[in-house]
Amino acid sequence: MSNSDVELIAHLMRRAGFGATRDQLHAHTAKGYEATVEDLLGPGAEQRMGDDLIRRFQPELSGMLNQNSSGPNWLYRMATTSAPLQEKMNLFWHGIFATGYPKVIHGKALSDQIRMFRRYGLGSFQTLLLELSKDPAMIIWLDNQDNHKGAINENFGRELLELFSMGVGSYTETDIQECARAFTGWTIANREYMELRSQRDSDWPYGRISWHFEYRPEDHDDGEKEFLGQRGNFNGEDVIGIICQQDATARFISRHIYSFFVADEPGVPQWPYTPPADEQAIEQLTQVYFDSNYSITEMLRALFNSDYFKSESSWYTKVKSPVELVVGVARLTGEFDRPRREVMDRYFRAIYMGQALNNPPSVEGWHQGADWLDTGTVVERVNFATQQLGDASKPGVQAMIDRIALQSEQVGTPESLVEACLDQVGALTVSDDTLTELVEFASIGGEDSLASDSPDGEARQRIVEVLQMVAATQVFQRC
Amino acid sequence: MSAIEKPKTGFLEYVLTVGISAMEGRGCYVPVDSAIGNDGVLYVVNRSQVNVARGVRVTMCNAEGEYFGTFGSYGEGDGQFTSPSGIAIDSQGRIYVSDEHLHRISVFDAGGRFLSKFGAPGTQDGELDTPSGLALDSQDNLYVADTYNNRIQKFTADGQFQLSFGSLDDGNGGLNLPWGVAVDAKQDVYVADWGNDRIQRFSPDGEHLATFGTSGDGDGEFYRPSGVAVDNDGFIYVSDWGNERVLVLNSEGGFVTSVMGDATLSKWAANFLSINVEEGAARSRANLEPEIDYFVPDSHEKSSHIEKYFWAPASIKLDGAGRLYVTESNRHRIQVYKRAS
Repeated sequence: MSNSDVELIAHLMRRAGFGATRDQLHAHTAKGYEATVEDLLGPGAEQRMGDDLIRRFQPELSGMLNQNSSGPNWLYRMATTSAPLQEKMNLFWHGIFATGYPKVIHGKALSDQIRMFRRYGLGSFQTLLLELSKDPAMIIWLDNQDNHKGAINENFGRELLELFSMGVGSYTETDIQECARAFTGWTIANREYMELRSQRDSDWPYGRISWHFEYRPEDHDDGEKEFLGQRGNFNGEDVIGIICQQDATARFISRHIYSFFVADEPGVPQWPYTPPADEQAIEQLTQVYFDSNYSITEMLRALFNSDYFKSESSWYTKVKSPVELVVGVARLTGEFDRPRREVMDRYFRAIYMGQALNNPPSVEGWHQGADWLDTGTVVERVNFATQQLGDASKPGVQAMIDRIALQSEQVGTPESLVEACLDQVGALTVSDDTLTELVEFASIGGEDSLASDSPDGEARQRIVEVLQMVAATQVFQRC
Repeated sequence: MSAIEKPKTGFLEYVLTVGISAMEGRGCYVPVDSAIGNDGVLYVVNRSQVNVARGVRVTMCNAEGEYFGTFGSYGEGDGQFTSPSGIAIDSQGRIYVSDEHLHRISVFDAGGRFLSKFGAPGTQDGELDTPSGLALDSQDNLYVADTYNNRIQKFTADGQFQLSFGSLDDGNGGLNLPWGVAVDAKQDVYVADWGNDRIQRFSPDGEHLATFGTSGDGDGEFYRPSGVAVDNDGFIYVSDWGNERVLVLNSEGGFVTSVMGDATLSKWAANFLSINVEEGAARSRANLEPEIDYFVPDSHEKSSHIEKYFWAPASIKLDGAGRLYVTESNRHRIQVYKRAS
């Protein structure tokens, strides 16, 4: 097993998951890269913190009144799951089908939408779009409960085409109206009562009541429609079927996947005017989309095994989103070995860094990439990472210190200490300049303090300090 | 389509519902336990949300919906709570409240004035890790579910450690994150052995006497039971939290009946809907007992849709008249039952 094998798999785990501990990397590397991709795509029975534990010790995360319940609930899942790609894809879809609390006012409805992504997010894009169109939170978010036969509301139909599947320039205003007609009668049950409670943020008398989809045939316009050049008495399912046949849809979803997993593309509004950074990659993904009957799993399999994904030139080119950073650190420190109140702090820390789960800034989701960074968020991000890795009471940090002490004591030099720290936080690769600075930092106090016969507390403290310095590097903030 | 389960009748009879969601004053907010004083005063422990000060308090009312005020607030000072969990009342009317985060028991008089506290975090005798359920015997000895230490500890009324029993295990006498505790007329101790999906009975000295139930959702089976209560005839009532129901066993552990919940509008809820006319009218036109295909066909999901069902029944308590009080965290209310005449 060579270093480059480990580093490549570390890259895969940062992108397809939230990073990996050194033990996990060792196990993945022993199986090989392609087998690890398969494990990510088909993780088997998921291991994670159980809902029973979460609901007992933080009961507000059971009824999920609001986003401060649904967000932390999801954070627990991301921080403890053995199926990290599944949760990464939930973040991916949440960023595209961005649905926010301020209009929905129902924590469980938002959590249910993420649960729907979890079930369908790696399957057929057609099925996912269909389930999205029936999702109660989405219906309220884009007003489809107000989309009636003879009195259409275009909001959902417009965003379905513009932001969820094809992108501007691929359809006409008439297509939008015909699309909206096809989705008339797609609403939520008890619309009047549930919408009123939502508008009033009413949890009276007895807390939230779950929403469910309802199709009202008497309110559906079943007349003939002409949509994207096809004519028929289309319902919503037919419209989604036609959307998924489009080249524009294939390119749209391919470009999103490429941007999320490989390299930042400009914002969606720029796509009609800016060609993809890697046209060949988009063409490959588009082909897989059609060949596999719109399978997201097949597109990801092709992507993760591609040269453009594996290339060292793509490593560390993306800035971790706040949630990716917070979850990655939590998985490294292992702090959520049981439900802990700190989950609320971690949820709010991501908000301070610019990302509130279940509350994207608009229907366009978050701007990715360097947009995550400004002077305030950089300080918050570095402070967070260094604080967490500096807390030797956390089980994951303790384990790292133990292994670093073993690894570095045999040589006892600043170089070996830095090398061991970089290795333990996930086989990080740093530039020569960064390495030099880290070694200089590790040299403060001389080599005596690193020697195996130095007082145990002193040596461990040095390790913690170097770990914190590693957490402050640029590559730690990137993936 | 799955049919709505009809409650099995014949033994338990629904009486009424108490409560309404409210972060302050009259009402409950994420209630986790209740206790009933000899004078019929119902004390409800409101947990609220993590790191949220509003909502944390003990509400004082009665089953008839009379409201007597609240005591306690969020914080770490004397008489304050951070994650209040269990509540019990002794023969003198003193009220004991456990706190899962502060790892202590606070004692109040019947009017809610702070008297004392005991307990500290740890694993030694008398120390606590996440204390939850509380129960008193006839001598006012206090049994505490010392949850993450997987044991029950017995204290005198003034907080002196007496003994403990249990350790992490699924064999007889072992415990896994115990929650609710009860003492019967013979002074035997019943424990809702949450993580082991069963109820266990112990002698006052902690000797294992019996185990009731196994994992599952059938008759006489449990999934993460939260609370237990025993009446003077030896019938055992269990809030089967993970299955969102209440089970009744006879004194030998034989299955008697189960109920899913029958909530109606409490006095406070009816008052709210009569004032908020538009919401009341919309509610009257809504179908709150839909028959649908659930995304996940489990009881948590069903109860989230059907409002009258128990949702997170965190505790079950009896009053002196034999009425049963089921506290539901997610519905901010207490459903009251009695034995059918």
